[in-house]
Amino acid sequence: MTNSIPEISQHTDVIFIIGSNTAECHPLVARHVIKAKERGAKLIVADPRLTEMANKADIWLRVPAGYNISLINGLLHVIVKEKLYNSDFVQNYTEGFDDLEKAVERYTPAYVEGLTGIPQQDLVEAARLFARAKNAAILYCMGVTQFSYGTGTVVSLSNLAVITGNLGRPGTGVNPLRGQNNVQGACDMGCLPNLLPGYLAVTDEGYRARFEKEWHVKLPSKPGLRIPEVADAILGGRVRAAYVFGENPVMSDPDSDHLRHAFEHLDLLVVQDIFLTETARLAHVVLPAACWGEKEGTFTNTERRVQRVRKAVNPPGEARDDWWIFSALAQKMDYGRMNYLHPQEIWDEVRRLVPEKFGGITHSRLEKVRGINWPCPAEDHPGTPILYQGGKFATPSGKANLRPVFFDPVRIPEEVGEFKNALAGKITELPDEEYPFTLTTGRRGYHYHTGTMTRKSWPITQVTPEQLIEINPRDARKLGIEDGDFVRLSTRRGSIAAKAWVTERVPEKTVFTTFHFWEANVNELTVNSTDPAACIPEFKVAAAKVEKITPAEFQAILQEKKKKYLVDLEAEVAGRLKSGRREAHV
Amino acid sequence: MFNRFVIANPDRCLGCYTCMAACVVNHAKQGLQAYPRLHVTYTPVGTMPVQCHHCEDAPCALVCPVKAIEVKEQMVKLNEGLCIGCKMCALACPFGAITIQGTPPPSVQAEPARTLTALLAWFAGQKTIGIKCDLCDFDEQGPQCVRVCPTKALQLVEGGDVERWSRLKRAGAVTGAVAMFKEAEG
Repeated sequence: MTNSIPEISQHTDVIFIIGSNTAECHPLVARHVIKAKERGAKLIVADPRLTEMANKADIWLRVPAGYNISLINGLLHVIVKEKLYNSDFVQNYTEGFDDLEKAVERYTPAYVEGLTGIPQQDLVEAARLFARAKNAAILYCMGVTQFSYGTGTVVSLSNLAVITGNLGRPGTGVNPLRGQNNVQGACDMGCLPNLLPGYLAVTDEGYRARFEKEWHVKLPSKPGLRIPEVADAILGGRVRAAYVFGENPVMSDPDSDHLRHAFEHLDLLVVQDIFLTETARLAHVVLPAACWGEKEGTFTNTERRVQRVRKAVNPPGEARDDWWIFSALAQKMDYGRMNYLHPQEIWDEVRRLVPEKFGGITHSRLEKVRGINWPCPAEDHPGTPILYQGGKFATPSGKANLRPVFFDPVRIPEEVGEFKNALAGKITELPDEEYPFTLTTGRRGYHYHTGTMTRKSWPITQVTPEQLIEINPRDARKLGIEDGDFVRLSTRRGSIAAKAWVTERVPEKTVFTTFHFWEANVNELTVNSTDPAACIPEFKVAAAKVEKITPAEFQAILQEKKKKYLVDLEAEVAGRLKSGRREAHV
Repeated sequence: MFNRFVIANPDRCLGCYTCMAACVVNHAKQGLQAYPRLHVTYTPVGTMPVQCHHCEDAPCALVCPVKAIEVKEQMVKLNEGLCIGCKMCALACPFGAITIQGTPPPSVQAEPARTLTALLAWFAGQKTIGIKCDLCDFDEQGPQCVRVCPTKALQLVEGGDVERWSRLKRAGAVTGAVAMFKEAEG
């Protein structure tokens, strides 16, 4: 996030939520949105589904899954045409406005309505409301990024914030809501194949030298593989061993049967996790890890706030902190320098190596305050909850770069070539006669991702016990499906079966379901196409078909899935551990 | 005095299910059936949890053949020990606030038998019981759903509250009328 969460309830006048089911997936952020609304702030929501945020919105733009860029370009068009942009900000702190103005020319409200079905009136009103606000904030999540043109969508949101001057002040900004307590921290520490800790590029010799000096090793100068590229690299023989930790890719990666198939060709699969996940059940070696309440250290949340975490209980059995396992492995591989005794030593090393971002965030300061937002270069620096204050941007020129973004569902628009710097996208798999539905995916309140943790919690199971496939009442009627009937959902990659939830939450010709349940894991169906820049997979659009099935057919499919995900193995291993026999399972 | 009840404000409800999970946990701890007693309900016009209104002349209590449901202690109380699982209360309830649940026997894994209505579906070997809100009457801290709601969308309404709000609304009505007449004169 460019800004911090509490600013929403205190300073924001117009909140634009796009591609985020904030109420279910980030309820504590949603709480600030509700508070802001009670203070009089206006809410604009863009989402294909009638989520709780959409339900509470002053303007709800029901954009079909995949068409975000046309919608945002439509907003930009109205703002530019009606001269509602902040011309001082544009003149002093940005570059590329002329190109952007030319690029959004054709995205008239009428054109956008033709593409997306959003009424022109709503689009114009939303644009005026956003542009005229004193402080407008954009909140977005995976409904913006998980497309083969996700980077383009984020760039067009940034265009919107920049031309209205909504950056660098309280209650404004472009705010991605990150999905996990410490996913920001993981990225900060270089858990990305092209970056060293602190977002320093591995391709830069100077940055590499900084780390090589501290670590006494030669670092590779080329970026590594990105997760969606791994399956093909295994099948092509480039990758022979994989070490998976804090991930359950057999459930969470798109077209997961393809990945499972690839994993079977590995010489060695090591999985380090807190439970015997669906992926761990395929592993040659499983390393038991400690969970969040069992370890010391820091978590960095979505607003870049580094927070101290303390151990509440000891890890069970042979489980160890992740850093302890990595260090022990390094020692076994004859690298003796990772002999840490406490996470604080690791954090101090990070501070030494990336002082410009983390230098001032000491453990002793974190003991006294509820977290410090990076960048924080010195111990007397208060931290930076708001980025880009005073219109200073992290670009070579110091100005915000506006970049044209194009979209067409069928083919990449030709104008792209006319602009330097332009981005463009199209939908990989559009509905057709055989697969007439658009399948979009996401989460449900109370289950978390692949259910590794939440499916082990019995109260959650009582509240949300099973997979549901959301389908619009009109479509359901045509197919003879009633609420609670079993249906089979198929794409070109596979099929799953679950109960239907007949609801207006999804628009016509769209179905929605989640990846929480191995019984019906939607990622067996999703498309394995990725964004060229970020390599994020297109989880949010695929072409699908829906058929009603009998309870007996459902039971048969369930038994297949049970075998496929080795569900009995987990119970068997748990039983063996209990009886004290710990022989390795291969 | 009125019966007490819990009510939700749909403008604040996020549909996050926290109330339902807390309800399950609190009742399980007490040795009662581990099912939610309120139901987050999504509709195109709004979302909120629906739970027992604790009606004064409660239809569920009237139809209960074994007096498992009684109106007493300013609430509609269901005694799980007496309930025979006849499901009449759930059919009679105008708000759908009573569900028919029960602990299935662990060895049986089957689909519920097909019946005319979902309400009458049954599992082989399961003793069914009516499940409804008891205002966490056993808990000194009061209803758990009210305590855990992240947006304070739920609240407990007790006897005097309705009258107090009505007084406020009547005062508001007078202020409004006075202002209206003043404007008409001026």
